[in-house]
Amino acid sequence: MSAGASDMAPSGPRGPGWRMRLTPWLLMSPALLIAIAFFGLPIAFMGRMSFNEHVDQRFYVPGFTFDNYAAMLTDPTFSAALWTTMRLALISSIVTVAIGYVFAMLVWLKPKRWRLAFIALALCPLLISEISIIFGWWMFFPKNGLLSYALVSSGLITDKISLMYTEFAAFVGLTYVTLPFCFFILLSIFDGIDKKVLEASADLGGSPVRTFYEVLLPLTKGGIAASFAQSFIWAVGTYATPSALGPDTLWTIGYLIQEQMLGKHNWPRAAAFSIVLTSGVAVVMMIIRMLASKRTALNG
Amino acid sequence: MDAVMLRVLALAFTVFIIAYIAIPVIVTLVMSFNDASVIRFPIKAWSLRWYGDFFGSPQWVDALKSSVIIALGTTVISTVSGVLAAWAFERFTFAFKPVVYLLIMLPLFMPGVVLGLGVAMAFGDVSLFGINIYGSRVLVMLAHSLWAMPLVFMLMEATFRTVDHRIVEASYDLGGRPVQTFFEIVLPSVSTGIISSALFAFVISLNEFVMALFLTTRDTQTLPVLMWLSLRSAGTPRLAVASVILAAAVFVSLSLIMVWYIRQLRKT
Repeated sequence: MSAGASDMAPSGPRGPGWRMRLTPWLLMSPALLIAIAFFGLPIAFMGRMSFNEHVDQRFYVPGFTFDNYAAMLTDPTFSAALWTTMRLALISSIVTVAIGYVFAMLVWLKPKRWRLAFIALALCPLLISEISIIFGWWMFFPKNGLLSYALVSSGLITDKISLMYTEFAAFVGLTYVTLPFCFFILLSIFDGIDKKVLEASADLGGSPVRTFYEVLLPLTKGGIAASFAQSFIWAVGTYATPSALGPDTLWTIGYLIQEQMLGKHNWPRAAAFSIVLTSGVAVVMMIIRMLASKRTALNG
Repeated sequence: MDAVMLRVLALAFTVFIIAYIAIPVIVTLVMSFNDASVIRFPIKAWSLRWYGDFFGSPQWVDALKSSVIIALGTTVISTVSGVLAAWAFERFTFAFKPVVYLLIMLPLFMPGVVLGLGVAMAFGDVSLFGINIYGSRVLVMLAHSLWAMPLVFMLMEATFRTVDHRIVEASYDLGGRPVQTFFEIVLPSVSTGIISSALFAFVISLNEFVMALFLTTRDTQTLPVLMWLSLRSAGTPRLAVASVILAAAVFVSLSLIMVWYIRQLRKT
């Protein structure tokens, strides 16, 4: 919070002390109600559910067991899904940050008149539903898709090809979904840099490559970390894109949760997986916050 | 030499990024005018057949209606609650401020599958006044607000900081009550921020389908949910039409707001 808010509060709305103290809580009550009733309560409910038992075909049987957590250590499906999720999220985040970085740098360097067009372009994946994005690529990659047709009719290849249901397709889709977040975070970082540093570096004899490594990269380190974390969190939680575009065996944790809930009706297991996923996301967020506060401490 | 190579690289990247972002959009747009009933390139005949099919199917039209109703509801709920909470954070000091901040913001970073599952489990068999909450549109609106409300809150907190607090003080000095000041002085000066955050809330809700998948029944299913379910069975050009219509809804509301914004600029 800004210091200004606390400075002006005493001279703010006038009235008896208790009313002053009550007003912010009244103002916040709808937001708090939503957060507590539809986020806090369900998480607590899920925490309890994860210790229940699953007997026969019933959703759950009240009980207290650590089986659902123990299963994660022994179940090869789960460890495979955990590994798949991490690998997908890690690789797609690195690719996304790399593409987003170059894209943001380009927009920053290009003349102003191009800027609006590029920003509109970057907004597209953000405004389009994930399902539409999936379906778009779903029509592009298969044997009878546009890619295959374009390659064959241009004479580059003779036989139709299909890239559908490959990990490559899953990465293309995931990166598409996370790209705008990275781009806008990085663009705001670049906009804070004075372009004169580039001229200064060139005047001192620095080549473009050296300027990049010794001037731009250190200045944008924080933005790279923030955008990487953002896309990592997003990619870990997304299961629709990899499961629809990737191979059948590409099971992420999100997919397992859905499978346990809607397919196998095993509520306790689905809840335990969700708690683990939630904790993972929370840990990543906390690491970022720690890194962020360290950065501001260093830079004053 | 170096400069020429950089220029070529920059051009190549520009072509790549434009193609990358445009490909799914163009493929979808082209496919929606296909006359055949399978998805196959090249397209041999063009027609509006699948548009007619979409609007002729009660199931798809109902899904579209559901989507719009839920998105409008989410917009109202999250804009009102987010704006009020942001004002509280900007104007007042109170206990547990960082904790409350975290509580409001945290759902935004949670995967949709976790939020949808949690709400479905917690409200799975709760009924109010004899009506089942589960499967109702209101529950989906509230679940979507878990993403939309923190976003509104975040945007409005930044917007409220730009309000000149001297005009607020002036209003108090002239005898304006806090509620009156809020509605007559503060809100009009941040109307652009409110409208843009409401738009974001609308778009998020309209496009979301993982939470909705867990929370809707056949009667309340949204368009993205129906699209996801039919993609799992078989893809037809009808899905392309649905994509185009969903995107059109977003871009129509975006342009309405642009028009409003330009008129607002002319006024001042």
